[in-house]
Amino acid sequence: MNALSATTAISTGRVHLVTFRRQSLTMARWRVLWVALVFALVAAAAVLRIFYFGLSDRAVSRTSLEDALLPPRGEITDRNGTPLARAFPAYALWYNPNALGDNGAPLVKPPEQVAAELQAIFPTLDEAKVTRQLASGKAGYIRRRVLPEEANQVQAIGELALGMPRETDRHYPQGSMGSHILGYVAADGKGRVGMEQVLEKQLSDPALRGDPVPLSIDIRVQGALEDELRRGMLAVDAKGAAGIVLDVDTGEVMALASLPEFDPNRIDADGAANMMNRVTNQVYELGSTFKPLTMAAAIDAGVIRDLSKPWNAKTVKIGSIERSDHADKGETLNIPQALAYSSNTVTMRVADQLGPERLRQTMIDLGMNERPFIELPAKGHPIWPGGKWSRLTNMTVGYGHGISVTPLHLASAYAAMVNGGIWRPATLRKVEPGAAPRGRRVFKASTSSRMRQLLRMVSLYGTGRSADAKGYRVGGKTGSAEKPTRGGYSRTKLVSTFAAAFPMDRPRYVVVAVIDEPRGTLASSYQRTAAWNAAPVVGRLVPRIGPLMGVQPDARRDVDISDLESLVRKPSQ
Amino acid sequence: MMVSGSRLRQIGWIVALAVCLGLFLALTFRVHAVNSEVLLAERQIIALKNQTLMLETEFQTRASQRQLSDWNTVDFGYSAPRADQYLGSERQLASFAAPLVPGAPSPIRVARADIPVEPAEPGEMRSPLTGKPVALTVAMAEVEASTMFAEAFGDLIADASPVRPAQARTMLSAEVVE
Repeated sequence: MNALSATTAISTGRVHLVTFRRQSLTMARWRVLWVALVFALVAAAAVLRIFYFGLSDRAVSRTSLEDALLPPRGEITDRNGTPLARAFPAYALWYNPNALGDNGAPLVKPPEQVAAELQAIFPTLDEAKVTRQLASGKAGYIRRRVLPEEANQVQAIGELALGMPRETDRHYPQGSMGSHILGYVAADGKGRVGMEQVLEKQLSDPALRGDPVPLSIDIRVQGALEDELRRGMLAVDAKGAAGIVLDVDTGEVMALASLPEFDPNRIDADGAANMMNRVTNQVYELGSTFKPLTMAAAIDAGVIRDLSKPWNAKTVKIGSIERSDHADKGETLNIPQALAYSSNTVTMRVADQLGPERLRQTMIDLGMNERPFIELPAKGHPIWPGGKWSRLTNMTVGYGHGISVTPLHLASAYAAMVNGGIWRPATLRKVEPGAAPRGRRVFKASTSSRMRQLLRMVSLYGTGRSADAKGYRVGGKTGSAEKPTRGGYSRTKLVSTFAAAFPMDRPRYVVVAVIDEPRGTLASSYQRTAAWNAAPVVGRLVPRIGPLMGVQPDARRDVDISDLESLVRKPSQ
Repeated sequence: MMVSGSRLRQIGWIVALAVCLGLFLALTFRVHAVNSEVLLAERQIIALKNQTLMLETEFQTRASQRQLSDWNTVDFGYSAPRADQYLGSERQLASFAAPLVPGAPSPIRVARADIPVEPAEPGEMRSPLTGKPVALTVAMAEVEASTMFAEAFGDLIADASPVRPAQARTMLSAEVVE
């Protein structure tokens, strides 16, 4: 029994052991299986991922090359493709007081020293103001536009708080040049003042902004025009100056300058004060430059048939009003003499004989009664004598008084006068060859060729002699008008203008230079009239721009004036 | 164990299918690898174009009409050509020759032989002011894989150092600063 019971006990123990072993084995197998399963799942996931990468196109998010290179705002170029305005990834100088992140002082060095070092990099920086800004510990821009090289130098100061975030900005590589044509982009990203405003839609449309917009202007001509105008303006201590170079056959504006200018890269109060465009927005009484227009209207209407006919040049009396010439050149003058010596009296008598209706119609045909035709948003409304013109109004308009227009009006009118008689609107967009607008006929072709002779004679024998650049066959007319003030005309404030075209044997370009309130200085021989300030500007400008625009100087070529030459006494010198 | 003919054919089909699938996969992988390379190249192009834009704009700004005119006033003093400096035609040029008179020098005849010219290497860049050679820092730098990566993905890596594009400083600008 004992033995039996013992055996049973042993066998029971063995059975337990065997069961335990089996259970343990099963558990171990399950564990191995689970681990293997996890490994398999991971491996499968990895393989699936590889397949996904290999097969899927969208594995890497990509932007197309076109999208990445599309500028945020379209580029504006000149007629030869030189960029005038472009979106430019610029740096800004941002003061971030929390950059060090330890709630301590934002700067390592004292603010005065940092401001002094910044001032050494940016000479125009207001050191005291920046010191206050740095000391106050308020985040803000120190400067909106920093060049890469300047960024290098700022980095070298070694202040973490001087951050340089990259911003897309509008940059005008030529600085203030052509600022009135281009305008600027305000902080809201919209264009202002110039073509930036006019082309707003095109420049911001994703479908169009990839292609640069060419303007009609030529940057080299623009540079020369601004250069010479500035020199002329400073030489006579004038308040301002305006100039335009216009293609007579297409109406394209090759250059347009209004001085003083503003810098579209940095708009401040000084700049904002100079945004008035003197060429398209400011109206002036342009004085004697209107005389050729009156003469052309009279020749066109058949009032002047014989240019050698002597006209009475004595003082004109209408009621109580008397008008006489500035310098007495004799009792009678013929038409070429009247233009060359800029006779008010003869022009008044010609206008009188022409009659108010016909002169008024010519002025309307030349667009003098409405805003100038150009894309720019800033366009001045002329001061146009309304209603029926009286005899006196007609006579004063004849020599450019009592009517105020912009220099652009004058340039377009001169273009019509010399190009064969067709008036065309001015444009700042590049005109493809053969795509010029048809325009409207104002003068007969024969009148136009007569006017070329007469204008050429003014600069050969008359007041425009200092504009006669050798070989360029310049013809033009001076105009010096007193500025209207309260109760009459100012004796001291003048607007002197020179309107010219060249080369006169086949006119290609009209140049108008206006100097606002010139003074008599040594440079102008203490004279204030256009012959001494505006005409020399044109005389220096034409040789600079002529060859650039395809006008080759040739001293042996000129418009034929042999039939009129004898009518004007040659100057003694 | 005997394997019947149809069974062998079945295995053959399966093997052929597997091989085709494998090749297809390999080809697809290759296509996408090339695609990725194109993408990399595109990013490199974008980075380079941006850099070109930046340098070009900087150059345009430094060589603006106003700047050139100021330099001309101070240093060079060039003026517009005069009318008598232009020649209208070959006939006008010939008019400058000495007239044929007794005792005049006999006309010089010039022989010409066309020598094959090696395509000229672009000349060394020289400073217009000093005449010394100008070296661009970018031109000297060796392009490494890491810099290539940095250029390609630089704009993606958040706020890369702003100093980087300015490395292309010329000796000229350094001289001007001095």
